[in-house]
Amino acid sequence: MEKKTQRKLSRREFITTGAAGLGVAALGTLPRQVFGGQAPAVIKGTKLAFLQATYFIAPAQDLFRKQVEEWGKMAGVTMAVDFLNWPDLQPKIAAAVQAGGVDIMDLWPGWNFLYRNSLVDLTREAEEVGKRGGGFEPYVLNSGKVGGRWLGIPNGYSNASMAYRISWFKEAGVANADDGNKIDMTWAEYFAVAKKMKAKGKPFGQALGHSTGDPPGFCYPYMWSNGAMELSKDGKSIAFNKPEFVDAMKKFVQAWKDGYDETGTSWDDSNNNRAYLSEQISSTFNGSSIYFAAKKDKPDIAKDTHHILIPKGPAGRFYWLETRTTAILKNSKNVAAAKEFLKWWFQDEQYNTWWRIQEGYHLQHVKKLADDPMWFKDPKMTPFKQQPKYGLNTGYAGPPNEKAALAWSKYIVVDTFAKAVQSGDAKAAVEWGAEQLKRAYGV
Amino acid sequence: MRGGAVTTGSLLERESSLGVILMLPGALLLMVFMAYPFFLGIWLSLTDSGIGRVGRFIGLQNFVDLLSDTIFHQTARNTLIYALVTVPFKCALGLGLALVLNNRMRFSNPVRAAVMMPWIVPTALSTLGWFMIFDPVFSPISWLLRHVGLISKNINFLGDPGLAIASVCWANIWRGTPFFGIIILAGLQAVPADLHEAAAIDGAGLWHRFLHVTVPHIKGVVLIAGLLSVIWTFADFQLIYVLTKGGPANQTHIFGTYAYQIGLSATEIGMGAAIALYMFPILSVFAVLLLIYLRREE
Repeated sequence: MEKKTQRKLSRREFITTGAAGLGVAALGTLPRQVFGGQAPAVIKGTKLAFLQATYFIAPAQDLFRKQVEEWGKMAGVTMAVDFLNWPDLQPKIAAAVQAGGVDIMDLWPGWNFLYRNSLVDLTREAEEVGKRGGGFEPYVLNSGKVGGRWLGIPNGYSNASMAYRISWFKEAGVANADDGNKIDMTWAEYFAVAKKMKAKGKPFGQALGHSTGDPPGFCYPYMWSNGAMELSKDGKSIAFNKPEFVDAMKKFVQAWKDGYDETGTSWDDSNNNRAYLSEQISSTFNGSSIYFAAKKDKPDIAKDTHHILIPKGPAGRFYWLETRTTAILKNSKNVAAAKEFLKWWFQDEQYNTWWRIQEGYHLQHVKKLADDPMWFKDPKMTPFKQQPKYGLNTGYAGPPNEKAALAWSKYIVVDTFAKAVQSGDAKAAVEWGAEQLKRAYGV
Repeated sequence: MRGGAVTTGSLLERESSLGVILMLPGALLLMVFMAYPFFLGIWLSLTDSGIGRVGRFIGLQNFVDLLSDTIFHQTARNTLIYALVTVPFKCALGLGLALVLNNRMRFSNPVRAAVMMPWIVPTALSTLGWFMIFDPVFSPISWLLRHVGLISKNINFLGDPGLAIASVCWANIWRGTPFFGIIILAGLQAVPADLHEAAAIDGAGLWHRFLHVTVPHIKGVVLIAGLLSVIWTFADFQLIYVLTKGGPANQTHIFGTYAYQIGLSATEIGMGAAIALYMFPILSVFAVLLLIYLRREE
């Protein structure tokens, strides 16, 4: 069945086939499964507005737009889809929650909790998607449900890991530098390479500014892997100011001086991409967007780039990983059509095509895709395949609820790192972070 | 019908009622776009409302909570520095600019128009220029200084605690100086030339003429421009949001950006409104000073 689906709607076929042709073809075969037995006439002539962030992988954005148009033609629904810059997405969603005007939104991690009162319950639809895919990945189960309900259908999350320059790692004496899949580093080992690389004028780079992707993506896992967390497992106290974490922070402060580009305190999610692609830095925590950009415009850098799993600490290896959810606003005047669209789009024919075209940039939401042939096309993408099994959510060991979102949006964990490297006083920085977390969580 | 026409006509004839009728559209606009959001903001600040969640009335709890928030303390400090450091610089540079532009020179009109550019160009757009200039890796300033051998590594304009606030202040000064320049230039052009001539005949030098003829004539416009600038700078948002989003480690947060972060990103709209309203008493003082001055001038 899966093979048949791939053959029918492969990436190349989908892009080259006109939307109208697909629509006509689909009308003959899909209505029953697409519309769940309901007559399309119910939603015909209505309108749907869709809000998403812009994609790093442009073909996926084009494909999504085509899919939306295709369904609109089939169902007789006028579709409007807006792709916003990442920082603009949340204000626009907040405005839509308050004033309407949007029907379907792509919610980023934690927003399903923030807007819980304004979202349509999609438990039945989400459970169907999970069942079809052999169950959701654990990180999706940790972060997608709000109070036991799915307030949006999980669609996965973008990947991230350590990108590095093969030839420079070889020069630094890293074993198996040719193949990132064979490298399994601790933080101490990673920092040791950073020191060697900075001595050669090619430091590591890490964003620690107020930015939503790479800074928390690095800082939360470093905290967890060194035994600290925001909330204790019983949820009654803050477990951030731990001696082992203070010690780890001291090591990070030292590594920052010895091995990192120290201007990283002001970097946002794009600075490290640009620094890496202009050969200023030799390794950085980032999504595979660096690799894709290099493949497109700087093939020599792409050839010399590989990825490794995020390093592990004494408490293990972790990634900050929560699912994005596609949700419907309660104030939508067209909930029925919105539900029909989502039922259609989350079918394998649509979702899997969209997911595969991103070539691993977007992590799978269901277990069935964990061993999809897509993951074996490019060995340099294989480290990302393993990422979902190490995922933890913001607020861990508690749920990724409103309080975790408050702490996250105040950049408390990120700022703890920034304060530590700026002042050199790891202990005071961790104490400050613990105090701020205490306020945010009210414990 | 006829009676109604007579009534309308007499209403328009009467000065008092005509005044009210003419003011009505303006008043209505102010009510809808200024008064309503303002009072809604006050109401929200007294509740624990969130986005999409109607809150309970909690009195002054949000304001009290903020008093013990160290990020808020830092935000208040940053805002004061941002406003009170930049305005004197903008004023001094604007005065210098106005004095230069007041001289007769070729192409004076295009030059005057050009110097207004930083003020006219949308802030978000011009700030993107500064974003590139302050880039931690590709800053042209760092590049130049490195190549002439004055520095060995890039300047961390927006990542160093002291430099970050200095950099955003500098961008604000660049943006705000033309406003002072043009306002003061208008003041300078209103200074009667014969006063300068009379003072020169009496033996007054350039400095004395500036101090005793020019300054008394322009001090009013300087004061008005200064007060307006303090109010606008206090309430700034775009420049900081584009450059740093309040980072690193909150070292450039001002009231506007912190209110946005808490109110919209964290969806604590009640608390966000309270942060923004902390500006209100400070801005009110400056607004009252401005009004008192204007009334006195009348």
